[in-house]
Amino acid sequence: MSATQSERVRSRAALPLGPFGDLASYVALFVRSVRANFAYRQAVLTSLLAAGISYSIPLLVWRHVYAASPHAPPIPAAQLFAYLLLGGCLNFALGMSVEFRVGQRIRTGMIATDLLKPIDFQVAQLSQALSDALFNVLLCGPIWFVGLVTLRGEILPASTGSLLASLLSIVLAFVIMFSISFVFVQAAFFTNSGYGIFAARSALQQTFSGLSAPLALFPWWMRATSEWLPFRHTIHTPIAIYLGWVSGGEVARLLALQLGWAVLLFLLGRVILAAAFRRLEIQGG
Amino acid sequence: MEWIKLYFVAYRTALQAKLEYRADFWVGMLTSVLLQLAALSFLVVIFKNAPSLNGWTGTEVVFLFGMTAAALGTSELFFNHIWMLPQYVVSGELDRLLTYPVHSLPFFLITRPELHSFGNLVTGSLLVTGSLIQLGAPLVAWLLVPLWIVCGSITYTSALVVFGCLSFRLLGPYSHHLMVPHNLLQATRYPLGIYPGWLAYLLVLVVPFGAFHYLPGGFVLGKSLAWWTVLAPPLAAGWGLVVANYVWQRGLEFYESTGS
Repeated sequence: MSATQSERVRSRAALPLGPFGDLASYVALFVRSVRANFAYRQAVLTSLLAAGISYSIPLLVWRHVYAASPHAPPIPAAQLFAYLLLGGCLNFALGMSVEFRVGQRIRTGMIATDLLKPIDFQVAQLSQALSDALFNVLLCGPIWFVGLVTLRGEILPASTGSLLASLLSIVLAFVIMFSISFVFVQAAFFTNSGYGIFAARSALQQTFSGLSAPLALFPWWMRATSEWLPFRHTIHTPIAIYLGWVSGGEVARLLALQLGWAVLLFLLGRVILAAAFRRLEIQGG
Repeated sequence: MEWIKLYFVAYRTALQAKLEYRADFWVGMLTSVLLQLAALSFLVVIFKNAPSLNGWTGTEVVFLFGMTAAALGTSELFFNHIWMLPQYVVSGELDRLLTYPVHSLPFFLITRPELHSFGNLVTGSLLVTGSLIQLGAPLVAWLLVPLWIVCGSITYTSALVVFGCLSFRLLGPYSHHLMVPHNLLQATRYPLGIYPGWLAYLLVLVVPFGAFHYLPGGFVLGKSLAWWTVLAPPLAAGWGLVVANYVWQRGLEFYESTGS
C-alpha cells in the first residue's frame, strides 16, 4: 500500500462518519447483498414455499368460514381474500434476514470486524435489508398476478392516489419492520440462543399486524391493543390505504403515524446499539 | 445396554450445557408461550365470526392446538439438532459426528435440546388438559393422549429429517426448507375437513401430521371417525422413522466434508 493510500485509510478510520456519510459504501453493500440473494436462490425459493404454506392456512380457514356462513363476517369475501393475499405478499417482501445476519455476527464475535469498518453499522444493515426486500418483491410479483387472475379488480388499488400513498406507506413499513427487527436482535448481546429474539418479534407481528385478518374482524380488546403498537403499520396500514378502505385526512394521519414510529424505532435501535457496544467484550486473538 | 447409557449421557450433558444459560431459558419459555398465544389469537378472531369449523367447536379445536404444541415441544426437547444441519453441512462439522461409534441420526438429533421447548410443552399440555376436562373426554382419551403426543413428535421430527436432508444437495447455511414441514404441522391445528381434499389426504397419508391428533382425537371426541384411527399415531410414527432413516443414509452419501 502506498503512503498516500495508507494515510487515506487512516484518516477514514479516524473520522467518525455520520449515518449516511459514505453513500458509496452502502450502495456497494446493497449490491453485494443482492448478489448473495441470487447465489442462495434455492434457499429463497424454499423460503417462498414455506411462506406460501404459512399464508395459505388462514386463507383456507377463512374460505371455510365464508362457505359455511357467507354473511357472518362483516367484510365481503372477495375483499378479505384480496387483503390476505396482499398482506401475505407484503409480509414476505418485508421478511428481511436482519435477525439471522446480525444475531449470528453477535454470537460468533464477527461483529468485531464490522466495528473496524468506517461505516455506520445500523445503516449498513439497513442497506442489506433493502436488498432482501427488493429481491423478495420480485418473487411476490407472480403471486400478485395469480391474485389478479382469481380475484380480478378486487386486488387492484382503489385509485391512483391510493396507489401512490400506499407506496409511500410501504417504504415506511419497511423502515418500521427493519427497526423493530434491529431493536429485537440486540437481545443477542445478552442471550445465547437467537430463537427467543425471532420468536418474540414474530409472535407480536403475527398477532397485531393484521396479517391473518383485517383489524375490523378482531375482538375490540385486540384491536385497541394494536392501536398502541407499531406492528399494524407494517401490514394493515399499507394494505388498507391501497384498497381504499381509508381516504383523505385519515390517510395523512396514518402516514404521519408511520413516520413517527419509523423515526422513533430507528433512533431507539441506535441508542440500544450504543449501550450494547459499551459493554461488548469479544475475546480471542 | 451400553449404547442406551451413552445416548442418555450425551443428552444429559447437552441439556445441562443449555441450562447454564438461565436468561435463555426464561426468554425461550416466554417467547414460545407468546407464539402459541399469537396462534390462539387467530382462533379467537375466527370464532368471533363463526360458531364452528367443520363441526368442531372452539374447545375441540383448542384440543388440536394443544396437541400440536405438545408434539412440537417434545420434538424440540429431544430431537432439535436437525435445525442446525444446513450450517453443519456447509462448515463440514458433521465430520466429527461421523467418527463416533454410534448410529449417527439418533445421536445427532438428541445432542442439542432447545430450552424454548418447555414453553411449547407446557402451553400444549395445559390446552390439551383444559379442553379434555371441558369436553368431558372418556378415560381412554386421557390414557392415549401422551402416546399420541410422543408419536406426533416422532412423525414431525421424521419429516424435519427428510426435508433437512435436502441440505446435502442444496448447499447454503439457511434452514428455510425446514419451515415447510413446520408450517404443515401448524396447518393441522385446524380440522382437516376445512381443507381441499388433496391437502387433507396429504396431511394424513404423505406427511401424516393429521394422523396423531385429528384422526384419533376425532374418534374419541365422537366425530364419527372409525375406531381404527386410534392406531394411526404409531403407524405414522413408524412410517416416519423408516423413511427418515433411509433418507438420512442416502443424504450422507452426498456429504462432501470440507477442506482446510
